[in-house]
Amino acid sequence: MANNAELAIEISKLSKAYPGRNALNEISFSVKKGSIHGFLGPNGAGKSTTMKILSGLIPPTSGEFKVNGRVGFLPEHPPLYLNMTVKNYLEFVLSIYSDKPKNYAAVEQVISKTGLSSVEERLIGNLSKGFQQRVGIAQAIVHSPEMIILDEPTVGLDPVAINEIRALILELKKDHTILFSSHQLHDVELLCSDITLINHGEIVVTGPLQSIIEGIKTRLNIKAKVESFSETDRTKMMSHFKLESVHVVRDVDQNQVNLEIVALADEKIKKELSRFLSQENIGLLEFTEVKIDLEELFNKMVK
Amino acid sequence: MYFKKIMILVKKELKDAFFSPLIYILSGLFCFMMGWLFFNYLLQAKTLTTATMTQAVITPIFGNINFIFVFLCPLLSMRSFAEEKKQSTLDLLLGSQLSEMQIIWGKFISNLIQIIFMISFTMVFPLILAVSGYSDWAVVGSSYLGVLFSVMAYLAVGLFCSSLTDNQIVASILTFCLILGSMLLVITVNATNNYLLALIIQYSTVPFHYEGFVKGMIRSYSIVYFFSYVGFFFLLTLKSLQSRKW
Repeated sequence: MANNAELAIEISKLSKAYPGRNALNEISFSVKKGSIHGFLGPNGAGKSTTMKILSGLIPPTSGEFKVNGRVGFLPEHPPLYLNMTVKNYLEFVLSIYSDKPKNYAAVEQVISKTGLSSVEERLIGNLSKGFQQRVGIAQAIVHSPEMIILDEPTVGLDPVAINEIRALILELKKDHTILFSSHQLHDVELLCSDITLINHGEIVVTGPLQSIIEGIKTRLNIKAKVESFSETDRTKMMSHFKLESVHVVRDVDQNQVNLEIVALADEKIKKELSRFLSQENIGLLEFTEVKIDLEELFNKMVK
Repeated sequence: MYFKKIMILVKKELKDAFFSPLIYILSGLFCFMMGWLFFNYLLQAKTLTTATMTQAVITPIFGNINFIFVFLCPLLSMRSFAEEKKQSTLDLLLGSQLSEMQIIWGKFISNLIQIIFMISFTMVFPLILAVSGYSDWAVVGSSYLGVLFSVMAYLAVGLFCSSLTDNQIVASILTFCLILGSMLLVITVNATNNYLLALIIQYSTVPFHYEGFVKGMIRSYSIVYFFSYVGFFFLLTLKSLQSRKW
């Protein structure tokens, strides 16, 4: 457990009840300073509620939370005045969020940081969705908060824009701690060092991404391509190793056999298995371990 | 500092308003109606030889200004919170260093300035009268003060209604109904024989107090009435904004 000075957010037993339903049920987790923390969960799990509470927009019903430093928040629908220019908008946001009188250098800095220089004089309403999302992120960081909370920053964007927003988030990591929610599991895999998974208002799992994936890995999925694979080879292999299943697909066109092997998790088995498949009468062509991805994790946990 | 933050919002709101066509459309409509009415009252004044210029022109003109703003105020104030809610920018304001009360003041002042802009066009009427020797400036002054107080009351109602919904049409209709309803309350006075009750109902309607101003009477209790009216609806708006925390 990281000590308190290293935490940007500490949440303990936070609950939020709306009339007739519990949006959050005593959730507890923490976000490390300087990290990108992914906040995952299906629709209606309580992600947005948690983020709104953290940014101070709504109070929790019970429980405590502590945010070290100021918070910049990008809600699911970016709060944009469509009839303002990008620059005017950011200056306005800065002036209502900061005590300092007109610090327009900060605005210029944020504009160049978020790649908005080419559109700073244009009306926000006329910009593409990708640019509007950037303006949304810019308004969250214009008053230089220590902590940025982004609620689904990549939703509804095209693949190019998604990549750009991802790069921007990575760039922001240098100066800020970031908590962001997403449906794009790929985003989370690429960006986050830690994740929290929430479902029905309860934390399913929280911690470093790698150790969570390791923790649920009880099976070893191996894909192999070999030149030939007879029924005897199969029986031999099944009796030699602790295997759960071996799936054989013959590829007549390419004159090879694809094997999908599920073994009980044991790192040593990989070496021995590859040696076995390297025999002359089998002829190993390819041998890869299929890593469990976040999607599987997500499905497994949410079930 | 408190006032400075309000002015940031006022400036932004005014920029929004004066860069959009609504205010000019409403001003044009208002000027057309008022000009037409002024012309007709002026023509009529020739035949009313016993009435003074104040009785024949100024008093009815200001009566009409007040009535027209019953329609125009809801159209101006409907945007205030409803649009912010729809664009989900209200959270941006509420999450900032502005307090709820500062936001309400900012919206109120900017709306009031827009209405003063519209009313300022009517100043040409007393000036035209002055050319033919009209000089009862005290009545003109108190009438303008009366208009100012009564639009303040309407705007306060408008802000409250706008804070209830994210639909501008609903906000404007609701405002209109509330203002007109409170005006029509005076008819209810006929239904009672209780003198005290009748007085109370009469006192609680805007036109009763406005009338005094147009006649050139600035009554202290009318000023108290308008301030408490605005204050009451400010309080309701504040509660409505805070209700997100309930």
